[in-house]
Amino acid sequence: MSSKESIIRQPLVTGENITYAKVTDDILLPVENKPNKAWWIGFTIAGLGALLWVVSVGYTFWEGIGVWGLNKTVGWAWDITDFVWWVGIGHAGTLISAVLLIFKQNWRNSINRSAEAMTIFAVICAATYVVAHMGRPWLAYWIFPIPNQFGSLWVNFNSPLVWDAFAISTYFTVSLVFWFCGLLPDIATVRDRATGLKRKIYSILSLGWNGSVKTWQRFEIVALILAGISTPLVLSVHTIVSMDFATSIVPGWHTTIFPPYFVAGAIFSGFAMVQTLLLVLRKVMNFEDYITMFHIEAMNIIILVTGSIVGIAYLTELFIAWYSGSEYELYAFQNRIGGPYAWAYWSMMTCNVISPQLFWFKKIRTSIPISWVLSIVVNIGMWFERFVIIVTSLHRDYLPSSWAMFYPTWVDVGIFVGSVGLFFTLFLLFLRFLPGIAVAEVKMLLKSSSLQHKKKQIEEGLFPADQVEFFKERLDMYDSVTEEEISEIQN
Amino acid sequence: MGSNKKYWKGLEELEQTPAFVEKSKGEFSESIPVENVLNEAGLSTKTPRRDFLKTLGFGLGAVTLASCNRTPIRKAVPYIIKPEEVTPGIPNYYASSFNGRSVLVKTREGRPIALEVNADSTDINQGTDAVTAAAILDLYDMSKLQDPQLDGKKTDWGKLDTTVKKALKKANDAGKEISLVSRTVNSPSTLLAIAKLKEEFETVNHIQVDPVSYSGIIQANKESFDKAVVPTYHLEHANVVVSVAADFLGSWLDGQRHTQDYIKTRDYKSLKDGKMSRHIQFEAGLSLTGTNADVRIAVKPSEEAAVLVSLYNEITGSSQSGALSTNKKAQTAIQLAAKELKLNRGNAVVVAGSNDAQVQILVNAINAELDAYNQIIDLESYSKQYAGDDASFKKFVDDAHAGRIGAAIFVDANPAYTHYKAEEVEKAIKNIEFTVSLSDRKDETASLANAIATSCSFFESWGDASIREGFYTIVQPTINPLFNSRQIEKSLLAWAGDRETSAYDFVRKNWEENILVDSGKSWKEILQSGFFDNTPSESAAPSFSGNVTDAINKATQAAKEIAGDIELHLYEPSVMRDGHHANNAYLQEVPDPVSKVTWDNYAAINPKFAEELGVKEKGKIKIKANGYEADLPVLIQPGQAMGTISVALGYGRTKVGKAGNNVGINAYPFVSEINGNKRFTVKASAEKTAGIYELAQTQTHHTIEGRNIIRETNFQKYLEDPSSESGQFKDEHKTYDLWNKYESPGHKWVMAIDLNACTGCGSCIVACNVENNVPVVGRDEVRRRREMHWIRIDRYYTIEEDDKKYTKEHDIKNVEDFENVSVVHQPMLCQHCDHAPCETVCPVLATVHSSEGLNHMAYNRCFGTRYCANNCPYKVRRFNWFNYWNDSRFDNYLNNEFSQLMLNPDVTARSRGVMEKCSMCIQRIQAGKLEAKMENRKLEDGDIKTACQVACPANAIVFGDLNDPNSEVSKALRNERVYYVLEEINVQPNIGYMTKVRNTFEA
Repeated sequence: MSSKESIIRQPLVTGENITYAKVTDDILLPVENKPNKAWWIGFTIAGLGALLWVVSVGYTFWEGIGVWGLNKTVGWAWDITDFVWWVGIGHAGTLISAVLLIFKQNWRNSINRSAEAMTIFAVICAATYVVAHMGRPWLAYWIFPIPNQFGSLWVNFNSPLVWDAFAISTYFTVSLVFWFCGLLPDIATVRDRATGLKRKIYSILSLGWNGSVKTWQRFEIVALILAGISTPLVLSVHTIVSMDFATSIVPGWHTTIFPPYFVAGAIFSGFAMVQTLLLVLRKVMNFEDYITMFHIEAMNIIILVTGSIVGIAYLTELFIAWYSGSEYELYAFQNRIGGPYAWAYWSMMTCNVISPQLFWFKKIRTSIPISWVLSIVVNIGMWFERFVIIVTSLHRDYLPSSWAMFYPTWVDVGIFVGSVGLFFTLFLLFLRFLPGIAVAEVKMLLKSSSLQHKKKQIEEGLFPADQVEFFKERLDMYDSVTEEEISEIQN
Repeated sequence: MGSNKKYWKGLEELEQTPAFVEKSKGEFSESIPVENVLNEAGLSTKTPRRDFLKTLGFGLGAVTLASCNRTPIRKAVPYIIKPEEVTPGIPNYYASSFNGRSVLVKTREGRPIALEVNADSTDINQGTDAVTAAAILDLYDMSKLQDPQLDGKKTDWGKLDTTVKKALKKANDAGKEISLVSRTVNSPSTLLAIAKLKEEFETVNHIQVDPVSYSGIIQANKESFDKAVVPTYHLEHANVVVSVAADFLGSWLDGQRHTQDYIKTRDYKSLKDGKMSRHIQFEAGLSLTGTNADVRIAVKPSEEAAVLVSLYNEITGSSQSGALSTNKKAQTAIQLAAKELKLNRGNAVVVAGSNDAQVQILVNAINAELDAYNQIIDLESYSKQYAGDDASFKKFVDDAHAGRIGAAIFVDANPAYTHYKAEEVEKAIKNIEFTVSLSDRKDETASLANAIATSCSFFESWGDASIREGFYTIVQPTINPLFNSRQIEKSLLAWAGDRETSAYDFVRKNWEENILVDSGKSWKEILQSGFFDNTPSESAAPSFSGNVTDAINKATQAAKEIAGDIELHLYEPSVMRDGHHANNAYLQEVPDPVSKVTWDNYAAINPKFAEELGVKEKGKIKIKANGYEADLPVLIQPGQAMGTISVALGYGRTKVGKAGNNVGINAYPFVSEINGNKRFTVKASAEKTAGIYELAQTQTHHTIEGRNIIRETNFQKYLEDPSSESGQFKDEHKTYDLWNKYESPGHKWVMAIDLNACTGCGSCIVACNVENNVPVVGRDEVRRRREMHWIRIDRYYTIEEDDKKYTKEHDIKNVEDFENVSVVHQPMLCQHCDHAPCETVCPVLATVHSSEGLNHMAYNRCFGTRYCANNCPYKVRRFNWFNYWNDSRFDNYLNNEFSQLMLNPDVTARSRGVMEKCSMCIQRIQAGKLEAKMENRKLEDGDIKTACQVACPANAIVFGDLNDPNSEVSKALRNERVYYVLEEINVQPNIGYMTKVRNTFEA
């Protein structure tokens, strides 16, 4: 299959002599071989983090929520901050796999797998907080309307927490199915190249994939259907999470702007996390040819756009607080700006509003180290955003007599740091056992969007000279394409 | 007949193939590899299936058996022979008295579980103070001694009595004094027991000493009227009250009586009649009384005498020297106050907190001039609460040092802690050959004594009290002594040689022979009513015969002694009092009504003065005075007079028990003396010291930030328009609702709270704790802002400077003068909103609305997301962060078998991880409804009262049915002053507040 794709489009796969076999070999390298030192170091650190998480959560379950720093005024703090943060991070995966699929943005093909995996692990981390923050976590199942022997006890469908439970569990299920379906051809590839027990396991996991045309056809249809199902979820999940706050009467929470603002923030943080992971991944796993500068730049642009939306939302909030004429509302925002937690507000503003604006500069958005640092800055900012929303609203609400400060304990910190550890543990295990890039989907790009293919077409003289020049200029930013390679390109 | 049919197992059988024939020879068609399994090779085969199954089977069986352990069953054994008066589930009430106040002891199945006021009493009959409400915890205090002690060892009563009697006899025979040191004793029976002891041993000398004494007043009255008594005050007759440093609503004399009377001219009923008294307070530290004053002027302790001299001059028109020459603000206030006082002659009174007899003589002169002795100050039915004589105790110490005392008996007295020269007292005690202490615990004094005759609490004793002349109350036991203890009277009688008479017979005989004579009342009637009122009829006002000029000169002179850059003001806090009940965790956790500090005392200083000293919140200062020094945490206290430090007494106990030991700093050593009486003000020096100490405050933001949650007006405006500042809508306006309206067809329980009546004393908090099994969480948890109180009292300051009022944080930064504050107390509890924001957000419907307008909490259903608490605009929901019932960190409260006896069985004890909050005493509502139903009648207004309402000495809380238009609460809520806190967010709260009205001068 050879298609003619406009040369104005940048190549999505670079590298010389890229064949299907090479793609398979490159991507399956970490899966089929013993892990390297870098993996072990990363895994040890992440594992220790996960251990910290187990200890902190275990201690909380044993002693009670009192081991956290919460009080009578601030009933949620780090727990729900972390929860929303992780849910937010979990947004990029579905957006990349579903929305970009529907819009036929095939540059997603090299990043969707990891992004989806990240989504699933982030949602797992988020879900742990749903349970852990409960006073009596052993009764967590009460959140679902399951028939029970307690008589006619039912859940409160007015409560956003119930909506939340549905939203998160649906999102998790759909994401997992989507991810797993996408994995099928790749698992089959691993299966076909493996032997012994490994082969057996991958056989079971591949659900009898046989590579027939019918299988591929069904695969495509399932992908489309799932994309269709998950697209509204991208909007709904964080909309509902935002309703945990928006439907309350707490000044600073009770805001109609929350749904779009939260969704934008979620995509913002999700892409930042994808960026954080992939920039390391492509280097360590030698995936530079598959995750190219084009991807990095594209994601940076998304970060810039969503970051700006978030910034506008912040300013709108301030305006509405003043315009509403509600003294409680106004005070809530004055308190954010100048109250005892002003440092958190200004950290949020700096990280989320100012720092992404640097991506207006092409130099910055195509610089790997700066992109990486900024992607982390964004997620720090997004953590502060949730902290600011939750804690600064609660700690000074209606009656000044109850105003209080929140001070985290080691357990609060332990659970957060631990959840990051848990996340990376899961992610590293994923890289070890499943292909980090969708092999089959990258292969689809080879004969349409790869540099090799485009070069061939240029050599065939399919494009006018000015377009070729333009193409060459754009190749400049690729760190995976050398100067010589570019100069070799001749019309 | 059998069937001939033959069934073949297969073609092989039909055809009888050789292979089949061969196979069918054995029992099994295939040989069983028994040998293989049994020999070693069989066991080492790859999959010993049977072994696997065996192990699996055994394992499963073992695990199943192990998990079949039966849950231990604790049987509640019913009465075999049911006592006639005890019905499980129905409380019994017994009339008794505590601190001389007539109370009802509520018992359930033989266990006392609460104290309530005896509303039928003709003396104090409105509410209980915090100490009374909390007293139930003292009964079950594990820190008490469980046996009598001799030389620090457990002993029995026989041995103890023999030893004591021998020692007393020895002292008596040697002609040496036997000192009986007690707190004020006003119980006729105890006094009789002491008299009996005196009959036996003639050298017995009864010395009464109070930790915070009023001997100055006694002395002054002796000199002024020849009546050595503390008067009783009837403040309901006062239109104007001027107090100079007397915390008369709190700890001065009888705060509860004063509150009950004082409120009568200030609450909503009085305002309805257009009447309100005016209260002017001059004081150094911001006291509970000061927070309720209409006008409060901060003066230094050294200026108090001058204030009174000026007042005297203004009222009498004389010009005694020593009038106030500094403090312009105070001078103006004095002029205005004097004018008011003169205008209300006969209905005006001046009180002073000083224990200097000379100051009190001056006060007597003023009051005599104001005709206050007609109906306000009562010297006939005088108070018998404080008869302590500082001079005689001083003599005791001197005598002991000189070896003139042969034996000493301490009756409920703890001078080794409460005396300012505790070391001297200690030495004195050690110098006495034999000492015995009648106390319930090995306290500071008892631990020095040779013997401890463990006394029991009033819950376990027969007895009586007489709080004021002519008024008697009975003490009747409601439970057998929990420990091997004996009541004081019995011990005294035993030593007097009478071991036979029971306490019951003794008390009864005394009453029948001495008290009830000619009254026409029988002992039985007294047991039912709990009190006997034989108040002497009023006589003509006494004539003042003191020497005013001399008193003024001496008082002025004495004031100079304490005048200085820093003056230390020691006070008895209104909740913790003198430290006697320091082991009561309920009291320790009740926030101070003004500072909202729990579990500590502190040095209260003015914000500007703190700047001068260079200390901030959480800082510490070292105070030196009177040859004693102590490091105290600083409390920044607006309203505190500049250059003064206020420190509470009653803290820093070392031998009171688990909860109270080493809580705060002992300030008694700062007490000095003046003319033989204790003096609670002293010149001091103070400096910043190193160290950080965070006080456990339940409220850390102290102003309303300009919000309309507190609505206040002044009396003048109120007279013009009763709804002034209440924000009540005069015209119709349309409102919109997202939610359906809750119908309350039967009852609708609501509450009305009068901000003008609430003094902020905090007794409702304790009563609620006791009623609803609210856990005590301790200092650390309060620091983390996790106190569990269902009802709290919010206290807000308004800083006043140059006639401007400041309530916003950023305006207050620029204020220079923090001496002028006005204060308001707002009881805050679940508002039982009709559109409760907590109800909509609970995912599992654990908090729901009742058809009677209540917001219910189903603990069993709650799994603790805390969303309801976040969404509660009043922040009244409390979360069980830990399992307070079974956690060694909360040992000072209900973590032992004794204190768990005081749980109210009608209220669930909450487990960890669930939310709780005020239920409006749902158990009382249900009980009231049931009772009415059983009696086949309609529920009447007043049948059901909440615990906080019953406990309120100011009658500030009215609870009832809004659907009954004639109920007290309906009437109260129709009041023009009523507003609802945060009504603008349309949560439709069900507790109406009545505006605070101040009777200020400007009006």
